[in-house]
Amino acid sequence: MKIDLKNLTIEKAHDGLAKGEFTVRELVDTYLEVINEKNGEINAYLEIYNNIDEQVKIAQEMFKNETATILTGIPISVKDNILVEGQIASASSKILETHRAVYDSFVIEKLKKHGVVFLGRTNMDEFALGSSTQTSAFGITRNPLDRTRVPGGSSGGPAASVAGDMTLVALGTETCGSIRQPAAFCGLVGVKPTYGGVSRSGVIAMGSSLDQVGPLAKNVADAEILLNAISGYDPKDSTSIPDDKREIEKTFKKRIAIPREFLNGEGIDKEVLQNFEESCEKLRKAGYEVVDVSLEAIKLSLAVYYIIMPAEVSSNLARFDGIRYGNQVKGDNLLDVYKKSRANGFGKEARRRILLGTYILSHGYYDAYYNTALKARDIIRRELSNLFKDFDAFITPTVPFLPFKLGEKLDDPLSMYLCDIFSAPANLADIPSISIPSGIAQNGLPFSIQFTAPYLREDILFTIGKEFEKLV
Amino acid sequence: MNLEDIKKLAELARIEMTEEEMTEIAKSFGSILEYVGRVQEVNKMTEGGVKSKEDYFLHNIMREDTATNESGFYRDKILEEMPESENGYLKVKQIL
Repeated sequence: MKIDLKNLTIEKAHDGLAKGEFTVRELVDTYLEVINEKNGEINAYLEIYNNIDEQVKIAQEMFKNETATILTGIPISVKDNILVEGQIASASSKILETHRAVYDSFVIEKLKKHGVVFLGRTNMDEFALGSSTQTSAFGITRNPLDRTRVPGGSSGGPAASVAGDMTLVALGTETCGSIRQPAAFCGLVGVKPTYGGVSRSGVIAMGSSLDQVGPLAKNVADAEILLNAISGYDPKDSTSIPDDKREIEKTFKKRIAIPREFLNGEGIDKEVLQNFEESCEKLRKAGYEVVDVSLEAIKLSLAVYYIIMPAEVSSNLARFDGIRYGNQVKGDNLLDVYKKSRANGFGKEARRRILLGTYILSHGYYDAYYNTALKARDIIRRELSNLFKDFDAFITPTVPFLPFKLGEKLDDPLSMYLCDIFSAPANLADIPSISIPSGIAQNGLPFSIQFTAPYLREDILFTIGKEFEKLV
Repeated sequence: MNLEDIKKLAELARIEMTEEEMTEIAKSFGSILEYVGRVQEVNKMTEGGVKSKEDYFLHNIMREDTATNESGFYRDKILEEMPESENGYLKVKQIL
């Protein structure tokens, strides 16, 4: 039978598989056909895994012996910085081009128990350092909705794989918007979970105090199912939240805040703002109180982020020296091997951020930048925690503008960094956030709205999100 | 930020770079540092009262120093990833 991929959801796919309308093999083959046809141009996938037959067999077996879960046989794509044992995980960097994972990341281990089918690894900005997937060492990824435009980043490959019907759902990672922003640019739902909600074990680190793994999907329900499956305590991640600390009181106020000055602060597109106001009005009609609030510290979020992140990047990327794994370039002595391997292995943006972090952490500037940023991060956290005494969530557009053309912003790093302006508060404050499609612009490109909720309150995002989906 | 500063940073970060690229990075640092310099405004904010560094510094989470896997469990796979190894050891250039 012909499977309608466009309208397929996890629940529908599961139903089809459970009722025997189609087999795991047929479902997977349908996606592989689309990949075959589209991936050459889109470049969402860097590689299709060589063990799909084996995975299909395991899933099919689980349906036969009635141990299948809702995720059994569901095709999932994996961002290239998430370790899958035996497979290459390169973080789309030349320095890790041939690096094979020696163990499974926590999220992969969890999903393997469900018998999902990992289709392959997807393209990303090198070491997740970018907002458009144009800094990958292995070519750009095109936006399936408009192939002359970027898919966003750094999870541009994961987003394009879902938007192009080359998988049902995807695993992405974000340090500041790298799930939510590409989801927005590709007309999808993306979730950045609470920091510590999903283990970072087996995920190639970028900014360790900010990084999280999360889902990209076509709707809120799919994102919720995938996030629930990868959440949980992991002793291998020292920042993972223990199970007993995940139980919290769940109140619901039906009140949403608009941080007004924050919205008006940076160059936000007129039509993006107009769509945002329309979304607010829809929420009001659905019974939510949606009001302007005045916040002070949140406006500093992006500046704080662009201090803390490069500091952590320069530390995390210090381990890539061509000695223990990855590509090595021969040299006259050990120092020379380091310098040449790193020169050959890192792309332009990675070098820029390593140098920026080195500068920020250097004696004489440490106090002015890094320490001040930590202080500001703390104030932002407290400002938002105060806000949540009266509100379920705050809303902004996900990105201040619509998907831009390939090649744009590449030569102007600061204008690229401004993509992340509305993403930063959630990562800095460790709180969950979701991006959801909020309509289509005149030129056919997707609008997106972003809801950010209190610590561990993903349930709010899913409740409001499912309601909002029906209003669009 | 001038070329000499960038050269020093590249040396510290152990990345060999061309003058041309370092010049470009020096140029981009101007606008980036100006933007992140806004963070100083926080010194005028007192949300929740002024806190001491201990309150907002990141801290390490410690655990017992015990083995988390069987000895040698990952050994062969890790060895396989090494650019150069000999008799089960990682091979590097002479240091002393």
